[in-house]
Amino acid sequence: MGQLILIATQNLLQHKRRNLLLGIAIALVTAMLITLLGLSAGIETTMLRSATTLSSGHINVAGFYKVTSGSAAPLVTGHKELERLVRENTPHLDYTISRMRGWGKVISDTTSFQAGINGVDIDTERGLKNVLRLAPQKDYKPGGTEEIRGNLDNLREPNTVMLFVEQAKRLEVDVGDQLTISAPTPRGVSNTLSVSVVAIAKDVGFMSGWGIFVPNQTVRDIYQLTEDTTGAIMVYLDDIAKLEEVENHLRQLVAKAGHRLMEKDSNPFWMKFERVGNEDWIGQKIDITNWEDEISFMSWTIQSFDALTGILVMILMILVAVGIMNTLWIAIRERTREIGTMRAIGAQKGMISKMFLLEAAVLGFASTAIGALAAVLIAYSINTSGVVIPSEAFQLFTMSETLHVLVRPQTVVFSVGLLTMFTTLSALYPAYRAAKLKPITAIHHVG
Amino acid sequence: MNAIVTLNEVVKEYRLGSVVVPAVRGVTLAIDTGEFLSIAGPSGSGKTTLLNLIGCVDTATRGTVTVDGQNTATLSERALTDLRLHKLGFIFQSFNLIGVLNVFQNVEFPLLLLGNVSKVERTRRVEKIIEQVGLSEHIRHRPNELSGGQRQRVAIARALVTNPRIVLADEPTANLDSVTGDKIIQLMKHMNDNQDTTFIFSTHDPKVTRYADRVIRLKDGQIDDENGVPAKPLAVSA
Repeated sequence: MGQLILIATQNLLQHKRRNLLLGIAIALVTAMLITLLGLSAGIETTMLRSATTLSSGHINVAGFYKVTSGSAAPLVTGHKELERLVRENTPHLDYTISRMRGWGKVISDTTSFQAGINGVDIDTERGLKNVLRLAPQKDYKPGGTEEIRGNLDNLREPNTVMLFVEQAKRLEVDVGDQLTISAPTPRGVSNTLSVSVVAIAKDVGFMSGWGIFVPNQTVRDIYQLTEDTTGAIMVYLDDIAKLEEVENHLRQLVAKAGHRLMEKDSNPFWMKFERVGNEDWIGQKIDITNWEDEISFMSWTIQSFDALTGILVMILMILVAVGIMNTLWIAIRERTREIGTMRAIGAQKGMISKMFLLEAAVLGFASTAIGALAAVLIAYSINTSGVVIPSEAFQLFTMSETLHVLVRPQTVVFSVGLLTMFTTLSALYPAYRAAKLKPITAIHHVG
Repeated sequence: MNAIVTLNEVVKEYRLGSVVVPAVRGVTLAIDTGEFLSIAGPSGSGKTTLLNLIGCVDTATRGTVTVDGQNTATLSERALTDLRLHKLGFIFQSFNLIGVLNVFQNVEFPLLLLGNVSKVERTRRVEKIIEQVGLSEHIRHRPNELSGGQRQRVAIARALVTNPRIVLADEPTANLDSVTGDKIIQLMKHMNDNQDTTFIFSTHDPKVTRYADRVIRLKDGQIDDENGVPAKPLAVSA
């Protein structure tokens, strides 16, 4: 095998120009594949972090409460006991938070819009504090200054609200201004409450337009709910890879504790109102979902991006395959006598195939390794230089102002392995043809 | 003496479109172990075809070729390749060395194909045979750094390194000047004298044939009994 690798390597080096060009093409495809996968992973990570902070836990222990069989409210009663149960019995737990959920109209002096109302206990919101950045006044107010006004911790105070920049712009409000929240109740009336703007955060992608943040107690006040009621217990894990395992564990745990569980439904809670409303039961049922259920559109977005990457890389790989086959055809033609000689002195067909496959594999591995190194350097440069995403639409999509490329070691190994394998497989047919050459024909080949 | 190669009424025809071209026409021949045999004749007389048939790189259209007791017509392609590897050595007119390997690696190559020779043993045998052909100083040189005569010496070393029973040489001096050609034939004869290896070489150069124990002259694909040493009668085994 060592001799074959030596022959393969030496033959590659002997035709430097031809193989260099092909090697560069393979390296470029590798670099592109790894960079695109890294970009996808970077976006996914950013979106996941933002989305799981803004609107979902890794796992959500939520549910519906029905006073009558025809109405459904997204509430969990007796949540303190349930949260204690979850906190004490969940493996891989990082932390839990409790959030009220509501829906209503946010009204300023000049305009209004509908938005989700997220109730928070700001002291327990580790993730929210990490992800949100308060915006300077100039971001949301014409003629504003660089001053960052307000404080997230002020959400401890009752009847306060935190908005995002786009919301503040639309409402034309600043920190300290008053807003009115009007929320319809299950009884068919709308309750209103005045709240004071205590913080305005930078937008976190398109999801930041969907909801405002107020203290949990403010949501309870609007809906006139008791202290022991919440919207969802959001569970955050120290290892998200254990999601499925922990979710199954929680389902068993909650059921064992005597709670009624809803059937698994991989949809966000707000899409279940109609179905739950039509079901013939009253009282409390617990619904356990994960972040993918609650923000499934994100998985779809990421999958679409990955699919596009796959299609693009597939096209490039086909071009590389054509290049490899063409190069090997030339090599076989040039080395027909050599093949004949080897066969004459006792090399079996398999060895001839192996020799050409190795040649492709050596070229493939060397090129993909260089391509992978280039991709890592590209990723490092992009991440350290903070490349700003030029399109606002793309910023909304990525939930970030700057590009972030996350090149995982397994992505590098996968890409190098895949492209080396593909390059080698492209050589299968030429190698087979080379092995099939009759020694007598090959020895006397002229050309 | 025992015949190591026998040919019995061997015919080889090539088909060029609808035309059948006979290259060898009913050759019957026995070659003894240790012979230094020359197959002579003009271009197109069938020398190379005959060598290819004996060397198992081609098969006869009719007749029987037996090499070291094995009827080559009954062997599979894999078995023929094994036979070539274990029993035969080849020396080509154009040397046919592997250009990207140096002298040592070229000579070592058949031993690697054998698969069961240790690295130490390979090194010992390769260095010994390279010394015998007088190329120890060029052991790390590539073929393109050697003269024609030196390349043919490498080819001889490669053919002999596995201790084959038969070495086939197709016009080994054709691409060499007469002095170098002479030296190559002398080297082959020297190897033949010192080892029990049968050498069968083709040539159209009358000066080269004088070293042969026996000369088989071919003309139009047949043995020309009138102008050469007649073929030995075929030993028919029971």
